Parts: sequence; C-alpha cells; structure tokens
Amino acid sequence: MNKAKAYIGIDIGSISTKGVIIDESKNIIASSYLWTEGNPVGAVRNLLGVLKEQFDDEKYTIVSSGTTGSARRLIGAMIGAGVVKNEITAHAVGTTTIHPDVRTIFEIGGQDSKIILVENGIAVDYAMNTLCAAGTGAFLSSQAHRLGVEVEEFGEIALKSKHPTPIAARCTVFAESDLVHKIQMGHSREDIIAGLCHAVASNYLNNVAKGKKIVSPIVFQGGVSKNQGVVKAFSDELGVPVAVDENGHLMGAFGSAILAMESRKEAPFTFDVGEMDFVTKEVTCGKCSNHCEIICVSRDGALIDSWGNRCEKGEIKTHARK
Amino acid sequence: MANKNKKNKTAIKGSARKVAFPTFGNYNLPFKYFIEQAIGAECILPAAHTKKTVHFGELNSPDFVCTPFKHTLGSMIELLELGADTLVMSGGPCRLGFYGELQKKILEDMGYEFTMIDLEWYKDAKKSEWLKAIKSVNPNVNVPQLLFEVTNTMKMIKYIDEIEELYHANMGFEANEGAYDRIYRDFLFDMKMASSGNDIKNAYRKAKVAMDDEPLNKPDMPLRVGIVGEYYTIMDKFSNLDVENKLCRMGIETHRLMNFSNYNLSGIEQKLFPAAKNYMRFQMGPTSASTIAAAEKYAKQGFDGLVHVKCFGCTPEVDVMPLLQKLSADYHIPVLYLSYDTQTSDTGLDTRLEAFYDMISLKKKVLKN
Repeated sequence: MNKAKAYIGIDIGSISTKGVIIDESKNIIASSYLWTEGNPVGAVRNLLGVLKEQFDDEKYTIVSSGTTGSARRLIGAMIGAGVVKNEITAHAVGTTTIHPDVRTIFEIGGQDSKIILVENGIAVDYAMNTLCAAGTGAFLSSQAHRLGVEVEEFGEIALKSKHPTPIAARCTVFAESDLVHKIQMGHSREDIIAGLCHAVASNYLNNVAKGKKIVSPIVFQGGVSKNQGVVKAFSDELGVPVAVDENGHLMGAFGSAILAMESRKEAPFTFDVGEMDFVTKEVTCGKCSNHCEIICVSRDGALIDSWGNRCEKGEIKTHARK
Repeated sequence: MANKNKKNKTAIKGSARKVAFPTFGNYNLPFKYFIEQAIGAECILPAAHTKKTVHFGELNSPDFVCTPFKHTLGSMIELLELGADTLVMSGGPCRLGFYGELQKKILEDMGYEFTMIDLEWYKDAKKSEWLKAIKSVNPNVNVPQLLFEVTNTMKMIKYIDEIEELYHANMGFEANEGAYDRIYRDFLFDMKMASSGNDIKNAYRKAKVAMDDEPLNKPDMPLRVGIVGEYYTIMDKFSNLDVENKLCRMGIETHRLMNFSNYNLSGIEQKLFPAAKNYMRFQMGPTSASTIAAAEKYAKQGFDGLVHVKCFGCTPEVDVMPLLQKLSADYHIPVLYLSYDTQTSDTGLDTRLEAFYDMISLKKKVLKN
C-alpha cells in the first residue's frame, strides 16, 4: 500500500517548542505547542510523543523533516533533519503560504522580535532586534510575575482599560522602574497592564520597525500575538487592522515543514528518536587562546555532530556524519 | 636576500627600537615594510586576535568608548608583552583622534614603559616634523631611501587592496574548494616577507595570475552585496567577525569601496561628497559621504543588498542610518544593519546573514523568471 507523503517541521524557541506535520497539499494534519523550559532535547521528546498520537501512520509516512528556532542546530542533529533554517526565513515562508497577500509580518517571540516586509509573496526586507530584550515576550512575562497575573490573562485585562497608563518604552530597565513608580502612585492594574501592552507595541515600532514602510495587510504572529492587548495597541498606533492567524504561534514550524517539502531531500524519520539517548558535551578547545567552546552531540554513545569552533583547528571529525 | 638587494640599496645603520602598530586588517604588513625597510628599525607584528586580546582591551577601557578603542588597546597590550618599546597609533577624523593620547595614559598607568608616536599630532605637520618623528626612532635614517621606500609602501597598500577586492569578488564561486584562500594566504605571506619593491611587485603578479587562472563557477547574474560603513570595523576582520568572508562563502560577490587606498590615499570622502548630495547637504562625519555615495552607487548598479557595518555607538554612522533607510526605500534595496561590540559569539550574526541570503536569493530567483 502506498502511503501519502507527510512533512514535519519543528520550531524550538527560547520559551516554547512548536511542531507541525503537513500533508502534500500543505494542510496541517498534526500540531503541538509546549514550553521549552530550558530543556530543548526534553521538550522535543515530549513534542514528538504528542505528535505521534495525533499522527495517522497508516495513512501517511513522514519523508522529510526541518528544524528552526534558536536550538535548530541541536535538534536538527538529533532528529537528522533535512533542512535546518533560520526562523526569519521559516516565518516568511510559512506566513506567505497561508496569507499570500500579506505585505508586513510582525513577529514577537520570547526573546526576539522581527519585522518582515513582503512584496508579491516574497520577503524583500527584514529587521530583527539587536541588543535589547525590551518589547519581547520575556519582558511581558517578567512584568506579569511582578503584578501577580498570569501572562495569558494579560490581554483580557488590558482590554478592560479605558486610560492606559503611559510607560516609558525605550528600554526594559526604564520601563520597569517607570512601572514600579506608576504602581506606587496608585494607577489601577488594568491601566498599567494596558500601558505595558502599549509600551511593547511602541517599542517595537520605534526600534525594530524603525524606518521600515509598514503596509497593510499586516499579520502579527509569535507568542505575543495571542495577547489581545498588544494587538489592540498595534492597531491603535497604526490606524489599520492587524490580523492574527489562529495558527500564528505555529508559523515557524509550519514554514520549516514547507521548506523540508520544497527541498525534496528525503530522509527517513522516526518518532522513536525521542527514546534514544542523547548526550551533549561541551569541550574547550585548547589549540589557541580563543578557547572555543565546542559542543559535541552524541547519540547512543556515538558522536554525530559538533559545532562552535571558529577555525579548522578545532574541528572534530565525526564518523557518523553524512 | 640581503646581498641580492645590496646593489640598489645602501645599508642603513639599524636602530634597536622595536616598533609596533595595533592590529588593523591587513595593513600591519605595509607598516612592517615601512618600519623595517624605510626606517631600519624592527617591527613587531601583532598575533591573530583572540578572546584574550579583546578581554584585555575591554578590561582597561572606559565602558562607553567605541569598539575600535578596545580592540586596539588589547592589541597594544599584547604587543608590549611581546617586547615592543615604541607604539604608533593612527590619528583619526572622529574621536579616534583622541584615542592615542588616552591609550598612552592608560598603558602608562598600567605600568608599561614605552614611547608613543601618535600620528594625530602630525596631521597638518610640516615634513620636517615628520622627519623629526622618524629620526626619534632611528637617528641614522637615510632620507632618499626613506622616500623611495615610502612609494613602495604605498604600492604595497594598493596591491593588497586590489587583491583583496578580487578575492572577495570571486572566492564564493571557486571551482576548486579552498583555492582562493590558498592564493590569498600565500600572497599575504609574500607581502610579509617582502624586503624590496621587486618582491612586492612579484608577489602581486603571482597572486593576480594565480587568481585569474583559477576556474570559476560563476553564474551570469551572481548575487552582489555592497558593504558600507565605519572605517575601522569594516576593514578589520577580527572586529567584524569576518562578515565579508561569511557572505562570500554563501556564494555572494561582495564589494567594498572603503579601504585604505580609497579612503586615505585617494581621499574618496572629499571626492564623493558631491555624489552623495541627493541624501546629504553638509558633511556629517568622517565616513558619511563615502558610505552614502557607495551605497547609492551599488543601488544604481542593481546590487541585491547592502550591509551596513559599524561599531556600537558610532555616532557618525548612526546618523547615516536614516539616510540609508531612505535610500533603501527609494531604490528597493534591502539593507542589513550590523552593530558590533566586543561579542565573541557568531551565532546571532550567522542567523541574520543566513536570513539575508535566503531573502535576496529568493528575490533574485523570482525576478529572474
């Protein structure tokens, strides 16, 4: 019996890990979203477990896999991914597939934020935040902790506010001290939370999106797009509606799966990879005073990949490498 | 070697001074040639930059000073440890001009004993003052030979820049992997060992012929990226984490107008100011006109993208950014802005470059069809 082909994409971010399986007409047939919790290997193991339950292995067979996100290299080596691509490309590919008419993509994740400008279905310019984590998901969740609210409730609370408190948005440190000050002054919690959402939006527009021409239709994605308060802040500031896709948080993984499909590189994939024993080891190269930290990944005791060396002196030969 | 050149060279009485210049791209080689052949003193070359160099520099620098200060200071410390007793520091058109003086004070406070020749003092100096500075290194310097070797040094700089240009234009398309690297490395080694004008010319010819002979797999319309930005960081590959080579290796032809020959010897900043008039009406800083004029030239030639390189907190180049944004919108050319501090991890840079490459290559593919 000939099974239909399917493709898997995994996006391992700093905060959350996302996985998507698509069929040949780019429909999502299985998806999952869970927290990375500082353990990308463990998170992917759990993720594959969840995906395996949703996946109909009598009907489909996975022929190719892709990884993206900040741990893409590590997980790529672990599952033997055919395509290991950066998250900017993955997001652009994923979003333009679902929204072919999109012109501007806003993406705010846990640790970084980016803007991608699209013309005629292809990315023509992008920018990514450089040094500062202000205006990212990590900032919102640390402030949520301070206010004693779950970050998931932020959006709902923010929408109740009529007079958002102005909060300095230039820098996380300033924003935080401004926030403490405003709390002690007696501003209501709704107003402060709405103010925070505005701060994230204006920080984004003033830093990442600075100098970029923002053209509608705009699609907003990444974990922070689930926050209604920030969505409202964006559309207030820009004066145009900002669309949020229901699968916005999965877009990186979706794009990665499409990239795997388009690469036409077929490699065997197994869900059981999660049960193998993965060990990562850090080795400090002593061949010059650069002291590169080389990461070695081994599967069941055999070295499969290594990286981190800045010159050929620190290269570690692996026998199992393809 | 020494005997061979005896004919056209009067042996100068050497000096026991050990002169050094902090790391600056490939230009330590012509500096070495000048010190050894023209002045007759010993030159100490800085070792390749490592984390340690940067760490030394960072530790002893004021926090908000720009990155070139930290790199050069770290390099100076290493050179003093290697036995240098005379340091030369360049002057500069921005606050770089003050760096020599400040670094001298910092190094003296650290307990080093040395002489600093700060070229900032000689910017508008008479020839006699230059000679005085040179004589402070070697009192027996032979002036006609000095002048003769100055022209050779200039030639070496021009050759190095020309070969580097060729290298960056083609190395991403070499048919035999590593061939261009090998030629380039040999060329730099020859330049390091050169002791006469003939050596310089021969090394240049050898490299040029070897590069021309090397087969290339270059498509008709290769991806082309222009690199513009701040003077030191753009030329020093240790400071910019070798961004140019990284781009080349992806299969991109890179172009960079900013180099020592163009900026210092040909004076493009003055010459190109009229060409930048669409975007700037007055002089904004030491490299603004070069950056803008080069960026516009590349955009007009249909380049696929621009990379703007600067050290973190470089005010003149920060001022140029809005102009580049305008230019980017006018010509529909994407610009990648890179800001460097003393980071040692390449990961962030690699992600951005990879995404940049994906974007411009996809765009090119779509436009072609």
